[in-house]
Amino acid sequence: MSLDFTWLAVPHYQRLLLNGVSTTLQLSLFGLVLALFVGVAGASLIHWRVRYLSPVLTTFVELFRNTPSLVQLFFLYFMLSEMGIYFLDAETGRRVPVFSGFTCAVLMLALSNGAIAIEIIRSGLASIPKETVEAARSLGYSRWQLLIYVELPLSFRMTIPLMANNIVSLIKTTSQSALIAVPDLLYAANVIMSDTFRNAEVMILVWALYLGIVSICIQLIHVLHRRARIPGYGQ
Amino acid sequence: MSDGQEGRDWRDFLVGLCGVTMILFAILTIIYRAGTLDALNTLRDLSPMLLTGSPQWGPLRGGFSTNIQISLWAMAISLCLGFLLGTGLISRYGSIRLPSVFVMNTLRNSPWLVILYAMLYAVPYEIGIGRTTFEISPEVKAIIGLSLPTLANIAEVFRAGIQSIRAGQWEAARSLGYSSGQITRLIILPQALPLMLPNLMTTYAALFIGTSLVVVTGANDLLAVARVVIGSGAEKYATAIYIYILFVYFIFSFPIAIWTRRLERQVRAGK
Repeated sequence: MSLDFTWLAVPHYQRLLLNGVSTTLQLSLFGLVLALFVGVAGASLIHWRVRYLSPVLTTFVELFRNTPSLVQLFFLYFMLSEMGIYFLDAETGRRVPVFSGFTCAVLMLALSNGAIAIEIIRSGLASIPKETVEAARSLGYSRWQLLIYVELPLSFRMTIPLMANNIVSLIKTTSQSALIAVPDLLYAANVIMSDTFRNAEVMILVWALYLGIVSICIQLIHVLHRRARIPGYGQ
Repeated sequence: MSDGQEGRDWRDFLVGLCGVTMILFAILTIIYRAGTLDALNTLRDLSPMLLTGSPQWGPLRGGFSTNIQISLWAMAISLCLGFLLGTGLISRYGSIRLPSVFVMNTLRNSPWLVILYAMLYAVPYEIGIGRTTFEISPEVKAIIGLSLPTLANIAEVFRAGIQSIRAGQWEAARSLGYSSGQITRLIILPQALPLMLPNLMTTYAALFIGTSLVVVTGANDLLAVARVVIGSGAEKYATAIYIYILFVYFIFSFPIAIWTRRLERQVRAGK
């Protein structure tokens, strides 16, 4: 079997692939920011034992951790499009659905990886030594200041390896949005394959691109991990 | 002490189960309002189809039973090959260790969906051995595709488990005259396997949840059956069916998660 990559010279396919890579990166970035936001907000609320809210949040975490993200994605996609929330485009007068496939995919990433982020940050918050918290309190830190200046930074620094796993899984999960026709990298691959029938070559290239994206991300986190290490902690 | 912990596990389990049921039911009523009862009736009528793939609760032809079968086969294969790759990861010889590390990292860092798509094209539709040709069903492709990332995860679990045994154990055994193979089989593995068990269960849970992706290989799994059902007259209840699928997956994997947590605590306490 010989591999034939001549289709890569066609500008149309190059554009498809580049658009795919950029969509995948956008999905990852938006998903990551929102998932971290969900994680910080949820973990803080559970940590503070807010009445009524923290048991509900814990249940949400269990729901999203123990169900497939693909089913969550389909569920969100069908539910939100069925609810039919539109806004009118002022220029063209067309009805544009608020929840496009892209939005649904980002929401899914934010919820399912956010649920894992809640667990991770919460475990970090729980592992902060009591003395540290008491010292901050006796210095007159309020509950918010304690959280923002002491607990959250420490929690983040101690849970970088776990969070790295979560981020890698988030990037890998973005590929599932191809199944609701979001034009990401895997979707571009499918289009090119159905055009050229060069299945093996396209698959190899796309696999390598995903590996490249994930590896770069892992390297970045490694650097961050080295910089953020707490001296003398955990050795 | 263990009684109190066990009680807390049961409480967590019941709270999670009731809570999730309530949340899903609340979403269902918000969406269908007056039609909630109809939706529930439809789901009851569709249950045998979705769970077994046939309208009368059997024979098992697809649906959720296929997901369970695929996950068990893939787990069995990944356990064998994963331990093999894991042995490669802790090998003394760089010529074995470095390729093993490369394979492990590659498989662990690729999206499962991409691997499954690749299997769809890489594995032929049929193979001939002599005169007879064997057809390769989509389910077999799904099993191969899911085994690849899972065996990499298991290899990593294996490596971590073996390396968590103190070097003193090796040295003591060697000074008593055990050979390398004997040390691994008689001294290291019996200590390391219980340590690995929680992580192996987590890996299985992830694999099981990952079986939702096999729909792309054409396997007749829960999602595939659901799509057929939705396409043939149940469009109105698409959301209800997806809520049902979420619930089914949750019922299966939540007990595993709780059990894993308990084992993890026991392992940590026994250390």
